[in-house]
Amino acid sequence: MRSSFLSDACCREAPAVALGGVSGAPAGPADALGGLAALAGTFDALGTHAVLGLSLPSPTIFAQYFVFAVLLGGIYGLVALGLTMIFGVMDVINFAHGALMVVAMYAVLVFSDATGLSPFFAIPFAVVLLFVLGVVVYRSTIAPIIDAPQENQLIVTFGVLLILVSGVEMVFGSDPQQLGLDLGSLNIAGVFVPQGQLYALVIALVALAGTWLFLQRTMLGRAIRGTADNRDGAQYVGIDVPRIDALTFGIGAALAGLAGGVIPLFQSFTPALGDQYLINAFVVVVLGGLGSFPGAFVGGLIIGFIQVFGSAYLGGSTYQIVIFMAFILVLLVKPEGLLGGSADE
Amino acid sequence: MGDNPADSVSRRSFVKYSGAAGVTGALAGCSSTGGGDGDDGSDGSDGSDGSDGSDGSDGSDGGDAPDEVIIGSNHPLSGGLSNTGERMDQAVRLAAMLKNEAGGIESLDGAELSVISGDNEGAQELGGEVAQELIDDGASVLTGCYSSPVTSAATRTSESAGVPFVISVSVANSILRETQLNYAYRPQPPADQMAIDHARLLAETVRNAGEEIETAGLFYIDISFGQSIRDALREELPANDIEIVAETAYESGDTADTQVTSLRDADPDAVIATTYRPGTIELVNAMDNQDYQPDYLTGCSNAAMNDVSALEEMGDTVEGGFATNFALDPTSDRAAEVRSRFESEFDSGFDANVAMTYAATEVIIAAIEEAASADPDDINDALGSITVEDHIAAMPPITFADNGENENALAPLFQIQDLEDRVVAPEEFAETDVQF
Repeated sequence: MRSSFLSDACCREAPAVALGGVSGAPAGPADALGGLAALAGTFDALGTHAVLGLSLPSPTIFAQYFVFAVLLGGIYGLVALGLTMIFGVMDVINFAHGALMVVAMYAVLVFSDATGLSPFFAIPFAVVLLFVLGVVVYRSTIAPIIDAPQENQLIVTFGVLLILVSGVEMVFGSDPQQLGLDLGSLNIAGVFVPQGQLYALVIALVALAGTWLFLQRTMLGRAIRGTADNRDGAQYVGIDVPRIDALTFGIGAALAGLAGGVIPLFQSFTPALGDQYLINAFVVVVLGGLGSFPGAFVGGLIIGFIQVFGSAYLGGSTYQIVIFMAFILVLLVKPEGLLGGSADE
Repeated sequence: MGDNPADSVSRRSFVKYSGAAGVTGALAGCSSTGGGDGDDGSDGSDGSDGSDGSDGSDGSDGGDAPDEVIIGSNHPLSGGLSNTGERMDQAVRLAAMLKNEAGGIESLDGAELSVISGDNEGAQELGGEVAQELIDDGASVLTGCYSSPVTSAATRTSESAGVPFVISVSVANSILRETQLNYAYRPQPPADQMAIDHARLLAETVRNAGEEIETAGLFYIDISFGQSIRDALREELPANDIEIVAETAYESGDTADTQVTSLRDADPDAVIATTYRPGTIELVNAMDNQDYQPDYLTGCSNAAMNDVSALEEMGDTVEGGFATNFALDPTSDRAAEVRSRFESEFDSGFDANVAMTYAATEVIIAAIEEAASADPDDINDALGSITVEDHIAAMPPITFADNGENENALAPLFQIQDLEDRVVAPEEFAETDVQF
């Protein structure tokens, strides 16, 4: 073997108790994962790789997949949040959701390059920018046809998608871009936790909690929920429904901005990336339950686990078949989604 | 929100339109770019402003020599592949320009070459349409198309019209082997040749240096391009005493975290990556995140490993790695001159795809010279029997077998040294020694 490269960090040789080995960062945020990793390392040390003659994956490798599934599921949940909110309140299927994410990705890039500040400062900028963009898009394209059949809004948002993605491509090209961040990974007994994804997960959870609190604890949030419940009834009790719609679309776009803003922390991006996330986000929303925030995260986690373990243990891209089989199964067994209310309510 | 589900009619609508979104996305993925991940396009200008060449182009009457002969260039000038596509189109133009500067087609009394361009957008459904437009506009011979599905469509249209088509860059074996084509030719090494050369040259180079390579893990993009290379590597690596211990498929737009975990679990000596630039960058990012470095990181038909800007972006992780791809002949002074002229003329990079396109146009020009005619059938006859020795690609003289494949196609082995791709094998094209 050649020795010029770094030594193989394959975790089966890693000491089972060596918690907290870090590639450039403290282990604190990942302490919760330490127990799992330590357990995995211990199993590795015992060499429990075969049961009843069957070859099992290394527990450390299994734990690594588990960590990636949780991280990926969190991102999918975040991506689905804005989509489920806009649909839950306005009955508008926002095809432009992925394109809004793309705008946020490039906003983070531009802001970081222009100011020289950390991309973490650029994320709030992207969120605000996308809120404004969302309101503008709503006022200019959705509001005039909000009462038209659903197909009209669908086509309009599809048009917005094309305009935004083409615009980004014309300005920035379609070469993959990345922020050049080197956030490193936490190494917990051979289980690596990329910090970019970890931060993204934390941000996603904060966004979930913040949005939920906003909807539950503020008058505006109650007005949004009231509008989601019954648009006509909301008007009768004095809620300014068009304003609520604009606000909702803005918040949905801001959530798309948040999702798009965190993705560059751990992944290179192109103008096409938003659409690729959007396809799975649709599945997540249906799995979790339309309009359900916790459902978005549960759906995200399901897709994350299927994708990670499917790509690890099934051939090629078979996991995509499994994702859509789960999608169909939920529609057959619990069509309102796992955490959605009954259709009879 | 969560407590207030939308009504069932809306839910059905959502599912319906989600399904439509899925189908739309899937169709888009199937029909575009061959890579789906926007390999390396940039501004997407249409680039369709080729010289008109609308007159005096047929030359098929057997009488006076025509004043000009038209070459049709069918490349992605907009969309995700436009960055490379535009430069490939420019390579066609440069080859014609240099020939014209040298006096034009000698056998046609100095007839000039004109290039007309069509934009296929990297979309399969446009490949044949653009080919037909170019033919209708008077092209005597075509070249293109970069993305394999697009090339497949374009070659079939060209075949129907009886106009020869010399593939600039497209790797899929199926293009020339699915059906017998009598008007299509491919100077570059196809997928199986890439795999043959990669397995052979990598194994020879490593072992000749006294090092070991016994196992490999595959990382491939799960589309026809990646699957073609994977299938060929499944045969060629064992034939060179390299066991495949892991295969990991990558989907465009994903991270490569899971794939790298599978690879480090299998612990191969070499990780062989077959994907586009974004996939390669994700692979390297995931390797860095998991502190994983195989003994040999290699690329088979991996453009990112021959792209200096991508290499700089990926940094030290790829330093010392290997790659197999078609290449500009680094030992040729003329190739260096062409590269320099291209860079000054178009102010853009002259990478392997551009070099191969230039070489394909050299083949076209040689065939026109040989045919002494602008008639497509005459040019086709010349292509069928031609041997082009004076070209800028790092491969022996180009000559075509009955199925249109170059009998001497070669994909040399590069090594990444100081973040530049340097040819290290075979010896006749090596510009430097391999380093360990």
